[in-house]
Amino acid sequence: MGNCLKGTSNEDISLLRENERSSEQQIEPIQPSSYRDRTPVFYPTPNDGRPANQLTEEEQVRIARRIGLMEHLPILAYDDSINKNKECVICMIEFKIGEEVRYLPCMHVYHVSCIDDWLMRSFTCPSCMEPVDAALLTSYDTN
Amino acid sequence: MAALPRRIIKETQRLMAEPVPGISAVPDESNARYFHVIVTGPEDSPFEGGLFKLELFLPEDYPMSAPKVRFITKIYHPNIDKLGRICLDILKDKWSPALQIRTVLLSIQALLSAPNPDDPLANDVAELWKINEIEAIRNAKEWTRKYAMDN
Repeated sequence: MGNCLKGTSNEDISLLRENERSSEQQIEPIQPSSYRDRTPVFYPTPNDGRPANQLTEEEQVRIARRIGLMEHLPILAYDDSINKNKECVICMIEFKIGEEVRYLPCMHVYHVSCIDDWLMRSFTCPSCMEPVDAALLTSYDTN
Repeated sequence: MAALPRRIIKETQRLMAEPVPGISAVPDESNARYFHVIVTGPEDSPFEGGLFKLELFLPEDYPMSAPKVRFITKIYHPNIDKLGRICLDILKDKWSPALQIRTVLLSIQALLSAPNPDDPLANDVAELWKINEIEAIRNAKEWTRKYAMDN
């Protein structure tokens, strides 16, 4: 909790109007299915999305490192005898047997595009909130 | 407007099929991302007996970002300001796409049962809640009676 007093002074009363205004600030409305075709938007922190050319060097390095770490997260075929989750908690669509899913170190699985979209915003497991980078480093140590 | 994601359709269907006890959430007729919410004040809280209206909006990139939720009914609570904005970690930095409309509303109901004056949004309310809890609770009951009943 906390941080609630920060930057709340200029917030709008209406949620709908607030939403319209924030999409104006992002230059174009972000639609998960189509934003990849346009100027890519990156999230140095979860609530702060900016086009690639508006990131600081430090933020670019952090994002590049994250993309590098994501490549270490295995992608395997979904197997309903191993995975107890029947659906991806992000899109709520049922997994199909043999479909590619990404495994996080905590063994939670998601559709690759669903989890990659989230990991680019926050490097944590949506289900257990475990930080993915810490868990990755631990698994290197033990191997 | 882009087509409604399957997740929003599923969540809405499940909310209708298995409503959360003490909470109603109905999508707006003209905007399926906007929900009219009513939360009943929890038992043994100063908000007991009240019906609190809220609005909930699912932003374009939901569930990658949290729903936007606001109390419409006036409420005397240290973590809810006079515009109805709510100080709740899962609506801000602790949001996860594994959370849902259902879990968000349950958390708000829980916040009514357990006000947290050490993490205030409404400073004057939080201050009184810390100095004189009895009077703060009396105010909360009074506001509940005045604004959250018979409307």
